[in-house]
Amino acid sequence: MDELLLSKVRLGIVAELLNFDWIAFSELARSLDVSNGNLGAHLSKLVDAGYVEEEKSFANRRPLSRYRLTKRGREAFASHVAELQSLLTATS
Amino acid sequence: MSVEPLDAAAAQDHLEMVNRILAESQQRLCSGGEHFVVWGIGSAYITVLFQLVHEALLPSAAAWSVPVVIAACAAFSIVRGRQTRRVLQRSSLLQREFFNVLWLTLGLAFVVDVAVFNIFPGLAGAAIWSVAEAIVLLYIGMHGNRRAQIAGVLVIVSLVVANFASPGIAGYVLGAGMLVGYAGFGASELLARE
Repeated sequence: MDELLLSKVRLGIVAELLNFDWIAFSELARSLDVSNGNLGAHLSKLVDAGYVEEEKSFANRRPLSRYRLTKRGREAFASHVAELQSLLTATS
Repeated sequence: MSVEPLDAAAAQDHLEMVNRILAESQQRLCSGGEHFVVWGIGSAYITVLFQLVHEALLPSAAAWSVPVVIAACAAFSIVRGRQTRRVLQRSSLLQREFFNVLWLTLGLAFVVDVAVFNIFPGLAGAAIWSVAEAIVLLYIGMHGNRRAQIAGVLVIVSLVVANFASPGIAGYVLGAGMLVGYAGFGASELLARE
């Protein structure tokens, strides 16, 4: 299994990003119901691993961070979910 | 990185969360209703204008307003697209694909009306806009948007009705299809977002 995605928050982030071109930081925090600090720490790990791409800009003079899933992140997610399903099948 | 391996209960919990998130992230447009309203009104205007010119109810010089209307619609879409991208909090994959399909189909419809008007004269040129609009709506409908499915069918029905209507009203029927189907879908998307 992908150790990075064993964290429920990081798995949730990747799942949230799956059907979206990109999502803003504040929207991710709202959807996942996690604090900004917690989300930021998990996002950094995903960005460092190349699973998520970060884009920083300004909107109405306010900083805006957007995140999108990379091809690597998409593949890691698919393979991790398949392994979770195999684990369940094996134990049932 | 040292992380505790998952047991079956935790794996079940993680999978349930993933399924819930994926079910909630509907493949919907995050913005775009205003583009449908503008292009629906613009294309209906052009279609009805050609009908009025054909019926000699307007001078042929009125046709010069067509490129102005198309340019205005295109300018609106470009400016509004950039504006919404700056403030939008999320953009679905469908949203990105929608804009690709919108520009491709409207671009092709424009080429038909401007570059090959001898092959698609009069109402045929107007009908190409209806076909383009039906493709855009049904493409969005394919991803589960019920309103887009209904609107796409309405545009197609207007095409069929126009085909069998008398030439004196066919343009109005096509224009009505564009207004109700295309602009109407845009208005419903805007209302649903609010």
